[in-house]
Amino acid sequence: MSPLEQHPGPKTFPRSEELLQQDNKYAKVIDNEQIIRIAFEKSTSNGFEALFRLYYEALYSHALRFVYTKEKAEDIVCDVFHDFWKSNSFMSLQSTYRAYLYAAVRNRAYTYVRYELKEEKNLTGPESSGHLPTGNSPESLMEYDELHQRIDRAIHELPPQCQRVFLLSRFEGKKNKEIAASLDLSLKTVEAHMAKALSQLRKVIFGPIMR
Amino acid sequence: MEDLVIKNAALDYFSGRATPLQKQAIEVWLRNPSNHELYYQWLHDWELRHLQAAAAWQGAFAKTRDRVNQNSREKASSSLPKKTVHWRYTYSRSMVAAVFLVALLGLSVYVTRENIFYKTSKAAYGETKQITLPDGSRVSLNANSSVRYPRFGFGQGTRQIELSGEADFEIERTPNRQQFIVSTATGLKITVLGTEFTVLARPRGSQVILRTGKVALQTTQIPENQPIVMSPGDIVAIGTDGKLSRSHTSRPEHYSSWKDHILTLDRTSLREITAILEDTYGFPIELQDPVLGNKTATGLLPVQNADTALELIADMFDISFTRQGDKVIFTD
Repeated sequence: MSPLEQHPGPKTFPRSEELLQQDNKYAKVIDNEQIIRIAFEKSTSNGFEALFRLYYEALYSHALRFVYTKEKAEDIVCDVFHDFWKSNSFMSLQSTYRAYLYAAVRNRAYTYVRYELKEEKNLTGPESSGHLPTGNSPESLMEYDELHQRIDRAIHELPPQCQRVFLLSRFEGKKNKEIAASLDLSLKTVEAHMAKALSQLRKVIFGPIMR
Repeated sequence: MEDLVIKNAALDYFSGRATPLQKQAIEVWLRNPSNHELYYQWLHDWELRHLQAAAAWQGAFAKTRDRVNQNSREKASSSLPKKTVHWRYTYSRSMVAAVFLVALLGLSVYVTRENIFYKTSKAAYGETKQITLPDGSRVSLNANSSVRYPRFGFGQGTRQIELSGEADFEIERTPNRQQFIVSTATGLKITVLGTEFTVLARPRGSQVILRTGKVALQTTQIPENQPIVMSPGDIVAIGTDGKLSRSHTSRPEHYSSWKDHILTLDRTSLREITAILEDTYGFPIELQDPVLGNKTATGLLPVQNADTALELIADMFDISFTRQGDKVIFTD
């Protein structure tokens, strides 16, 4: 059963409601998942092209919420697609592609950010275990959303200059030196801002899961 | 109806605005594993409406596909028997050269793939262009606009084309009733069988005007399973803020009159006209007094080029214009 059939689509958005009062008889429901399945029937490459077209941008944006680095978010999403492709598991998927991809991207982004922010990186690599259970229990589904909201809040609550430095460094991928020059700060100050921002993030990511 | 309550709670929740009660409700609802799919669907809907940064899927797709293909090739070559040291020594120079050549070839294929499999047709500033697609459908491109479509035909699936700018479409029906989908970078998706319509997808806003037939319209702002269905004469406009508005015209053909180099004005404000001219000819236009922008005009203007357009418009509004570098200024 496609997710659209489960969900007959109540008219939830007032601004489009009046537009939709028109005859819906012709309204051809275009379901992403259906488009993808048809594309996969043609060829694997076609199927993945459809997957990228329909989900890449949103998944990339979602990964950004966890890692706050453009390059890393791109790597994470591409790695998920790559592994999905290589594993051939796209041929026997039980869930929708959407659910699979979101779950995989969230998991990988979370694992990465924990690995990256660990104070003393041991050599076990990013696959060392984290707080979040890997199962599909309701708590774990929502815990990812709790986490990116907490990250968002933590960054939001940084002092303005500290936030600016953090975003330039992480999001724009600028070097500390460049940031110091562009904001007219000393290198020491930039480093101090980064240290503060990262310690706030660590608190959020390694702190107890509040629900 | 419960789904509707949960959906709104979930959308609030993703934005960090849910109350503890809403959270609790979602948690209970998620205990049923069959609801997980819906949760992800809403998460996706929400993410699309709150994108954090722009990203181009085409590059990521090409990169990943190359990585997948490369890995399988590496695996195949690693199973070959090892060469002797002597052989490697003697031929190392030519091998380096060969590897380099192959890499170069790979790179050039990578760079030009877009051009091999897809064709992009572009109309420059100040010109319009007619294109016939592999399926016989006709596209008229307005100035500063482009479409991208598969060079070797659409295949058996849907016919897909990407538009940036403004274009008029006359779509041929195919015997197997293949859908024709126009998508734009502004998030519009228009699905048709056979029909005639005009699409505007510019930074200042998007607009779809339907002449004949019927189309289903999707945007990133409305739920994906509830497309807007348009009838002939309908105009759906999407502002830069994502606001949808719908109106009706008895003369939809006026919206594609640029095909015949005619600018159709129907109580059109000078502000809108300057935006159209900027899009068409590529130079910035300023109003010396912003109040001028509220003046409107009605009529059909033959506009062969930028100069005649500026003169006619100045004439119509009884104003004058001056040039400063590449900039044009309308003065009272």
